[in-house]
Amino acid sequence: MGYRRRKSKQDKLIEEQPGNEADVKEPEQPSYSQLSRNIEYLTKALKHSNDLKIRILNEGQAALLFFETLSDQEKLQENIFTPIENGKFDSISKLPNGKQTDDLEEALKVLLRGHALYIEEGSKSLAYFSVTTTYNRSVEEPENEKVVRGSHEGFVENIMININLVRKRLEHRDLTIKYFRVGKKTNTNIAIAYMDGITNPELVKEVEKRIKSVTADTILSPGFMEEFIEDNPMSPFPQTLSTERPDRVIANIMSGKVALMAEGSPTVLILPSTFFMFYQSPDDYNARWVSGTFIRLIRLMSFLIAIGLPAMYIAIIGFHFEVIPDDLVPPVKSAIDQIAYPPFVEAFIMVIIIELIREAGIRLPQPVGQTIGIVGGLVIGDAVIRAGLISNLMVIVVALTAIASFVVPSHELSTTLRLLTFPLIILASTLGFIGIVFGILFILIHLVKLESFGNPYFAPVSPLRIQDLKDTFVRIPLFKLDTRPKDANPIKEQSMGESREWKRNGKSKKSKQTKKSK
Amino acid sequence: MKKKSLLLLICCLVLLTGCWDQRLFKDAKLIMGATFDLTDDGQVKDTVSVLIPETGTERATEGNAHIETGIGDNLFDARNEIDKQLAYKFDPSKLEVLLIGEELAKQDIYSVLDGYYRAPRNNLSAEIAVVEGEAAEAFAVTTDQEPRISEHIVGLLDAVSDTTHSHGDNVQLICAELFEPGIDIALPLLTVDKDANKVNYKGLALFHDKHYHGTSLNAEQATLLLLMDNKKGKVARITRKVSEKGEPRMARYLSAEVTNHNRNLKITPSGGTISVDINLDLYVNVVEYPLDKLTDPNKITELEKKLSETLTKEAEEVISLLQEAHSDVLGIGRRTEAFHYDTWKQMDWEKDFKTITITPKVNVVIQEHGTIG
Repeated sequence: MGYRRRKSKQDKLIEEQPGNEADVKEPEQPSYSQLSRNIEYLTKALKHSNDLKIRILNEGQAALLFFETLSDQEKLQENIFTPIENGKFDSISKLPNGKQTDDLEEALKVLLRGHALYIEEGSKSLAYFSVTTTYNRSVEEPENEKVVRGSHEGFVENIMININLVRKRLEHRDLTIKYFRVGKKTNTNIAIAYMDGITNPELVKEVEKRIKSVTADTILSPGFMEEFIEDNPMSPFPQTLSTERPDRVIANIMSGKVALMAEGSPTVLILPSTFFMFYQSPDDYNARWVSGTFIRLIRLMSFLIAIGLPAMYIAIIGFHFEVIPDDLVPPVKSAIDQIAYPPFVEAFIMVIIIELIREAGIRLPQPVGQTIGIVGGLVIGDAVIRAGLISNLMVIVVALTAIASFVVPSHELSTTLRLLTFPLIILASTLGFIGIVFGILFILIHLVKLESFGNPYFAPVSPLRIQDLKDTFVRIPLFKLDTRPKDANPIKEQSMGESREWKRNGKSKKSKQTKKSK
Repeated sequence: MKKKSLLLLICCLVLLTGCWDQRLFKDAKLIMGATFDLTDDGQVKDTVSVLIPETGTERATEGNAHIETGIGDNLFDARNEIDKQLAYKFDPSKLEVLLIGEELAKQDIYSVLDGYYRAPRNNLSAEIAVVEGEAAEAFAVTTDQEPRISEHIVGLLDAVSDTTHSHGDNVQLICAELFEPGIDIALPLLTVDKDANKVNYKGLALFHDKHYHGTSLNAEQATLLLLMDNKKGKVARITRKVSEKGEPRMARYLSAEVTNHNRNLKITPSGGTISVDINLDLYVNVVEYPLDKLTDPNKITELEKKLSETLTKEAEEVISLLQEAHSDVLGIGRRTEAFHYDTWKQMDWEKDFKTITITPKVNVVIQEHGTIG
């Protein structure tokens, strides 16, 4: 049983339109046999850019073109001139590491990629050599996705290194990488990675179709791609999981999902994503399963706290103070008795103060950021209570909410949660508990309706699949996670065979017998 | 365009309705305790304890009590009188305790409770008790045990319910029993000792239907009644004299805690009336008996026999008091109606409860005798 895959009329239209597919003919320009015409064409096409270097060789009979800003001088020397100096080859065009083309448009592209182009007088064949220079930082642990145990490697801005990190961890012939070029002007290199034979081919087709349909001039980062390819851009919830961790990407690829990487950004998108994936962290799998489960439950609880706690508090002290436990009545009453503003205003001020402190802390350099945290958190927090603007209970509530929203391992969802607090605060302060119920109802309805690449976003809770719950709210031991979750509709569901047989054979005869009878 | 107007409409709906029915907690004057008395001309005198929070302190505090009195024709009229004297709004939704004066209780307690059952924002889990004399005097007591007198009384009532001295009833729980003919209530009876500035538990006030008969049980009898009613609290302690000899005097007494009990209430209908047998087995743990020698089986048997006799005699007294007060706390009428409906129809419970034969029998079994041999 798979999930129903919706296909609207529009999708079909896009599929039928020929123009959207990759079969749009690239412009071609056959090369000339005269060197000067070739060079003239290229320099004109590159708008006489100053960093394009033309080295005239063989007394004007040949030329080597390259961007000095893209090429590595040492590589140039090593790949082209050293073999010639050694006397093994008499012409640059005959060097084995060069490639040939006779299309000037193609030559333009390779120049922009950082290759060096060798043109000879009287020859239509153009040779090009890869001398691209790259400046890479090391594969350090991403700042925003730290784990306690496990791999501390993170993706970098170079897509080749990123794919290398994936391939190193997943040495299997089924790992398929496909390249795409998006962004008419930026020409960004994009790759998708998936496991052939596990990932549903329909999903891959859908992803490819959506990537090819992007016609924007500028694609700078996966964040751009995300908005172009996601199902529902109006939703507050992120529908693609972004991560900078190779281990997380591998885990998702192995459960039948597609990873989308882009040149120039360490962020990798996982398609499709479900709501509960945002609450899974590699730490859960590195820790023992009991503690992993406990931490995950705490994290899921933080969802409710993050969106509901201020609303709940406002509803209680603004409408239903009967529910305050008897013993708490005097302390609560004495805390809020002399506050000037209604709880709604109080909460708004406090939530906005926290957002200000957070944003200021991020933008400022590290040492100043910490000062802001202390000044904002301690000094302002203490002063507003003393001034009687905000009750100390509201400070507790809002601070707890902020902390709860930071518990989510994904930054996007954390922002979403803090945003969702506001409508719930408004509903709670106008309608009380019933307002909260309405608000949460709307959020739930939206979550259940939401799809990510045709797959249900709120799986495995809706549609309910009990089997998949074992890695949702809890994390049962890894050897029991023998089927892949259905949310990406993988074609191969079994993820492991019989494990830990030694335990069964050694200890219990009964289970051995039942196994035999099977 | 259509979407925009819809959005505008929703905004208007939320912001411009004008009927924002919020009740701010900070603007409520919380009534933590209320007492009701009858004035000489039949009006209701309502004395309440209002929570006045202490502000400007660093730590959360219990707050203080402010006592206010209002006299009116009925419950709500008296409340209005109080509201006129209070800053902000009178709010009974966190009421902790409700005390009823003896005179009012003797007349009809439902007449003041009706308002509590009818209005939705009342705290029905408030504890209820009867005060000997005037109930308002209980709030005049200043105790240093708790910062507020209402909290002190709640603590007192909770404790007596834990030690099997009262049912631990609240306003909600007694409601059905006020109306049912086959069962009556018994509320804790408090006394105010003005000289010692104290509120004390005296026993159980026996009710018939909606009024207090005037007869009450003392604390020991109350425990026995509750055990016969199969309503043991957290602990039930029995201290009885078991011998006439022995020095010092306190050595003549034995204290025991009931660890387990088994109540068997049997109703036998015969010719239009019923006879009731109540067999109560008490399994006890001796917690104090200075004469000791409890390892001797003969001694144990002797003590068990002595205790059983004493308690059976006392139980008979309790039953006679119940019958005198016409207070069917044990719910014998309810059981008769349920299991012997034909007989019930023939009987007039209003009259016949006093005449039926109720034979209690208490059997004590000493199971443990503490940690010393």
